[in-house]
Amino acid sequence: MKLADVMSGAGLSIYAVVALLLFVIAFLAIVVRTYAPGSTARYDADARIPFSDDEPGPASRARE
Amino acid sequence: MSTHLDTFSYDDAIVRKFLWATFIWGLVGMLVGLWIALELANPAFNLGLEWLSFGRLRPLHTNAVIFAFAGNAIFTGIYYSSQRLLKTRMFSDGLSRFHFWGWQAIIVAAALTLPLGFTQAKEYAELEWPIDIAIAVVWVAFAINFFGTLAKRRERHIYVAIWFYIASIVTVAVLHIFNNLSLPVGPLKSYSIYAGVQDAFMQWWYGHNAVAFFLTTPFLGLMYYFMPKAADKPVFSYKLSILHFWTIVFLYIWAGPHHLHYTALPDWASTLGMLFSVMLWMPSWGGMINGLLTLRGAWNKVAEEPVLKFFVVAVTAYGMSTFEGPMLSIKSVNSLAHYTDWIIAHVHTGALGWNGLLTFGMIYWLAPRLFQTPLYSKKLAEYHFWISTFGILLYVAAIYSAGITQGLMWRAFDETGRLAYPDFVETVMKLMPMNWVRVAGGTLYIVGMLMFGYNIFKTWAARPAKYDVPVISAPPLAKVYVDPHPVPAGTGVWARFTGVHWHRNWERMPLIFTVMIVLAVVVASLSEIIPTFLIRSNVPTIASVKPYTPLELAGRDLYIREGCFNCHSQMVRPLRHETERWGEYSKPGEFVYDHPFLWGSRRIGPDLARVGGKYPDLWHVRHFQDPRAVVQNSIMPTYAHLQKRALDFDGIQGRVDAMAMLGVPYGDAVNRAPAMAREQATALAAGIEATGGPAGLGDREVIALIAYLQRLGKDIRSAPVPAAGGTP
Repeated sequence: MKLADVMSGAGLSIYAVVALLLFVIAFLAIVVRTYAPGSTARYDADARIPFSDDEPGPASRARE
Repeated sequence: MSTHLDTFSYDDAIVRKFLWATFIWGLVGMLVGLWIALELANPAFNLGLEWLSFGRLRPLHTNAVIFAFAGNAIFTGIYYSSQRLLKTRMFSDGLSRFHFWGWQAIIVAAALTLPLGFTQAKEYAELEWPIDIAIAVVWVAFAINFFGTLAKRRERHIYVAIWFYIASIVTVAVLHIFNNLSLPVGPLKSYSIYAGVQDAFMQWWYGHNAVAFFLTTPFLGLMYYFMPKAADKPVFSYKLSILHFWTIVFLYIWAGPHHLHYTALPDWASTLGMLFSVMLWMPSWGGMINGLLTLRGAWNKVAEEPVLKFFVVAVTAYGMSTFEGPMLSIKSVNSLAHYTDWIIAHVHTGALGWNGLLTFGMIYWLAPRLFQTPLYSKKLAEYHFWISTFGILLYVAAIYSAGITQGLMWRAFDETGRLAYPDFVETVMKLMPMNWVRVAGGTLYIVGMLMFGYNIFKTWAARPAKYDVPVISAPPLAKVYVDPHPVPAGTGVWARFTGVHWHRNWERMPLIFTVMIVLAVVVASLSEIIPTFLIRSNVPTIASVKPYTPLELAGRDLYIREGCFNCHSQMVRPLRHETERWGEYSKPGEFVYDHPFLWGSRRIGPDLARVGGKYPDLWHVRHFQDPRAVVQNSIMPTYAHLQKRALDFDGIQGRVDAMAMLGVPYGDAVNRAPAMAREQATALAAGIEATGGPAGLGDREVIALIAYLQRLGKDIRSAPVPAAGGTP
């Protein structure tokens, strides 16, 4: 018996729907977790990471 | 916490290199695009040269703008922002240089091989196997360099832009490897290991995710870094960016089958692709809103600053094209839009608007920093913005109209129930004014590109004699992590779940983070791929479908070499206007020997799935010699060279053997393919001569191509009832 025989007989048409549900549940979990109270201060700090470099600014003002 | 400070500097030389490559290849790719737009408006622009024909140049245009222009733009932004977000120099300067020069060498290889007709015939994966291997090697070098940089970072938390880069790097690797699995039959020729429906599925799993993970996620990473920097404000909502990221990773990978609605792909796969595409509306618009709202309170700057203007219109174009994409994936809309210019308009909203304008904005922001001198002319950048925005509008509006017009003409019936426009060429001629407007729009965009190049060149010319290399100091990562924003410990499952620890942990553990991304991508992919490949009822066998004869196989390879699939589909959808126009709709079982599949995605010319026997052999000879002598107003290039060039009969054996290795039941042909091909060619050529055609075609390439075309659709006619089940 080949793998294709097993797969064809396994009634996998529901497989994709199961995967879809798993992904929707994972998505909902991320939504709930991300928007749970108490995390705002951390995320505000993370959002400022691009501004934490101490490089000199660009050569200012374009020559017009 | 350690009080010791490390000192280091950033490698901006590599960023400058990628910046120049972005401009140079962008200009080349866009000029090729303009040229093929002219070829569509007037076939004289094919110049009668085989390597300048639309079929050869179209893949060069798409590869150049995607992998050379957008690719180098991504690397410019990634090398600049990653070093700063991670507070470290790149892991290895040597690997950075290898990545740069390797990538440029690949582009040169593409620019040479594609016009010469070396192609795998898979959209955006046309490059032949040695170049594919080179791409994999260079990509791995980039990945080592990038993950090495992550490992030696001095910033504990990994900013959201970096997540998008991680997802892009790992997913592109997976897509590239699995879609390009092929059996080489020569130094620059290979056959896909997949056939027919399965090959189509793999190709569009790749094709759509190339859009997702090459043209979307890396650019979103760039947006999340450069837009806040340019606006001097943090991103509107960091939480929304987390949601944006994971939703994109979860959903995009499923969407590929929407490119194959109403084809021979199983219906369940196509429906699944549609559902996930529609769901993509949410994260895409969430991301767009997040980008635009980053400018809250800073809109006055948009009026003054061309960089922000570019960003605003780029993000808006992202919103427009990600609204349109899900809409096009809805089957009923897709039935109108598929194979028409509407898709080309959709793609160009994304490419010219989102990718192009974001790149220009980013480089205008980077140039003064990288060349350490003010931008040469802000006013010129301003003009560039307006001319390219106007060019996009002109291009897209014209091609939308063209696509909808052609789609409606194809499906129109008159009051007697017959096709209102049975002559395909009539539907092509109708688009001519729109084709010229497209040329005008594209020209404006290229004029803008030249202004951009001049501005950057003049900025570079005013650079200091020696670049200043600022010394940066930052503390190394502490051995033990102390959370600066601790959340009060809760008890119970719910408190632990919402206590944000697990995602926070991932954010400082790039390895686990990367594994989670790969898991999401692989699980989603396998959920579609395994059933497509292993459930036999998906591809019911048709007993009368036989392998191509050796001569037909050689002809099929010429069809691939000339890029015929860029203009002609081989897929009749089960829609009444399609079956009225082309004949019996296509069945999955018809393609079981097609390595690679050649369904095409555009009907610039007519569908060829049922062309076998539709015209006499001599018609084809004359049509290839001079298409307009046979079909007035045809825009097909001439293929006179096919009558001049000798067919390589001896090379056919290797190709038949390769097909046999892939499971095509070739029987006797495995031993005597060239002889069989000669017999068939001689008979075919004699028939052509007997009907008044030219003599001596028996050893010319044209005879193989005619043999192939005359075979198309014939097998199915001798078997009206396909048998379900059986061995594919």
